[in-house]
Amino acid sequence: MTELQAEQALEVPHEAKTRRNRDAVIALAVFVVLALLPAVFSSKLLLDFVIRCAAYGLFATSLNLLVGYTGLISFGHGMFFGLGAYGFGLMMQKTGVPVPVAFVATLAITLVVALVIGAICVRLKEIYFAFVTLAFQMLIHSTILSWVSLTGGDQGLRGGIPRPPFLGIDLSNQLHLYVASCALLVIGLFLMHRIAQSPFGYTLRMIRDNATRASFIGIDVWRAKLTIFVLAALFASTGGIIMALFVSGAYPEFAYWTISGEGIFINMLGGVTTFLGPMVGTVLLLILNDTVTRLTDYHGLVLGIVILFFAIGLRKGLMDFVVEWYAQRRNGARERG
Amino acid sequence: MTRTRKPGVSRRATLAIMGAGAVSFATPWVARAQAKTIKVGMPTILSGRVAQLGTSSRNGVMLEVEKVNAAGGLAGRQIEMVIRDSKGQPQEAARVARELVNTDGCEILIDAEASSGAFAVHEVARDLGVLCLHTNSETSALTADPKQHIPNAFRTARQGVHDSIVGGSYAAAIAKAKGLKKWATCSPDYAYGRDTTGEYVTYLKRFAPDIEIISESWPKLFQPDYTEVVTKILQAKPQALYSCLWGGDLTSYIDQANIYALFSQMEVFAVNMADYTALTVVKNLPKGIHSGNRYIKTYPATPENAAWGDAYKAKYNEYPTNWSWENATAIMLLAEASKKANSADGKKVAEALRGLKIKSPFGADGTVTMRAEDQTLVGYAIGWGTTIPQEPYVPQVQPGDWKTIFELEAEWKKSKGYT
Repeated sequence: MTELQAEQALEVPHEAKTRRNRDAVIALAVFVVLALLPAVFSSKLLLDFVIRCAAYGLFATSLNLLVGYTGLISFGHGMFFGLGAYGFGLMMQKTGVPVPVAFVATLAITLVVALVIGAICVRLKEIYFAFVTLAFQMLIHSTILSWVSLTGGDQGLRGGIPRPPFLGIDLSNQLHLYVASCALLVIGLFLMHRIAQSPFGYTLRMIRDNATRASFIGIDVWRAKLTIFVLAALFASTGGIIMALFVSGAYPEFAYWTISGEGIFINMLGGVTTFLGPMVGTVLLLILNDTVTRLTDYHGLVLGIVILFFAIGLRKGLMDFVVEWYAQRRNGARERG
Repeated sequence: MTRTRKPGVSRRATLAIMGAGAVSFATPWVARAQAKTIKVGMPTILSGRVAQLGTSSRNGVMLEVEKVNAAGGLAGRQIEMVIRDSKGQPQEAARVARELVNTDGCEILIDAEASSGAFAVHEVARDLGVLCLHTNSETSALTADPKQHIPNAFRTARQGVHDSIVGGSYAAAIAKAKGLKKWATCSPDYAYGRDTTGEYVTYLKRFAPDIEIISESWPKLFQPDYTEVVTKILQAKPQALYSCLWGGDLTSYIDQANIYALFSQMEVFAVNMADYTALTVVKNLPKGIHSGNRYIKTYPATPENAAWGDAYKAKYNEYPTNWSWENATAIMLLAEASKKANSADGKKVAEALRGLKIKSPFGADGTVTMRAEDQTLVGYAIGWGTTIPQEPYVPQVQPGDWKTIFELEAEWKKSKGYT
């Protein structure tokens, strides 16, 4: 783990503070660029695309906190995506509270659910963890399907999600929704990056690499795993909320295992060893999906070939590859120099 | 670790992917070049288990679009269909629908989605205000519930509650005549199956109050093995069985139930039997299964309907499905409405559609009507009959009475709090 050693060597308080500031500046700059995009390109397709990137990006990056950083391969992460969409949609439809209240309340519900499910799951190892998370996902999916009076069953939440304006923000306006999604995405990524770079983040990497050793030096492995499970769930839920706002509804498919599968696929595409890997994977997958769907009905075949290319050809995600390639070039240059 | 690839491959791959990205954003601008044609977008399901829904919807649409274009198009503008796969995912259906309108420049949407996808497209139509014709969703609430109502969305498909009323009254008459008191049901375990069965039983009991349901089975959607369901029904010994299984599920069920000679031991009412997707696939179609008509070229028994079915068969080398006629009807209505409005503009066409009555091969009396109050199709051919193992499969169809349907539908709407 050269990355770990290098970063730990730098991890002195002053450096950490500078890095935090640098992250904040980068996040702000990215947000400003994204927010100014509509002024340059008038394409509504682009706005829709970025909104969906925000939803899936938050979801996939949060999954990477579990998969890449902690070594918890969750097959059921999609349940929190669905929970976010349904929680928010139902809250807006049934209670008519302002959007920010519904947002916070949805996260609160996710927190409770993730605590309960996490407390049961994170004790388990590897394949057992994967399957029990999958089982919980199917439980939530089945509940959505059968609780017709509340969720509308397999027809989903119908009649649209009301989006009353608040603080001058009208989320039924595509441009407003776009800016709000960008803000949520950037804030979400910033927070997740902070988590990943914090001492807690390094504890997670240690648990991933050697949980026994971690517990021997006094780390409460269960608590650390549970904490990251819940945190990841909150970000996934935020992704679900963005998706619910985008389609103005919530559908059982949001909580189905295929969403979790897509998350895993995105992580494979983008790579799990870098923080931005899943975000790159999201953009790749959505571009691939949108382009291929437009060109052919056999998109399944094309996507399958792409998966094979990454799994067998590259044997890693795109970002992993780029980072390695870059490092090698730099080393090569240094040797020549 | 040893490297298996040189960096050059990655660069090429990266370039290829970047190229794909560029194409993704560039094509819309190319496509936007407006001609005199009118683009009609159609999100539907073209892959997966129910791909037949999409392909037969597309066929139905294209058959009619060719006729309309040959006759001059919509108010002089040739129709160009843009048909795209949603993979049966509602979020994809919403995305594709938005893309079709915002980027491809479609002015009208034919929503050929099933169940939840249709509601997702409905929300897009609400947001964008584009004229939208739902062609496959038979969920009554889509048009009956005033909360769903928007002035720019119409339905050119059957409606669940109509089927239940006709099916219930038909079955009740037979139940009375043959003394069928003990009934069983066997329907797929999802909203369509549960709702349709519930409504059917409600109307059955309304017309024949003394029947009772002694056994209920809810096999999973796309379940491959029905042995336990079949044996459960046989053990309960009902006099009659109702099922709203459809497509491949219905045909596997019949094939497996045939082994147990189930069909000789009770009267079977299978609403989705009389569709070529089921009739032509079953290995040994039992005689005497009661079924509602979905699409069958012999009912309505008119030359127009037979000609339409044959034309479809000649062109696509298979018989039309229920989805085919529902989608064809959308184009027929659009053509008539734009003629009446003398425009292809969405708002004017929508105005002309309300209350529009057109001649149709699929009409109970040779016409179908787009009812103005809830913007859904009425007057289409709806009836029940019994099967025979060879063509024409359902020789005698007893038509449903639209007067009764309207009365009971109004009552149903009131009971649901819709009016």
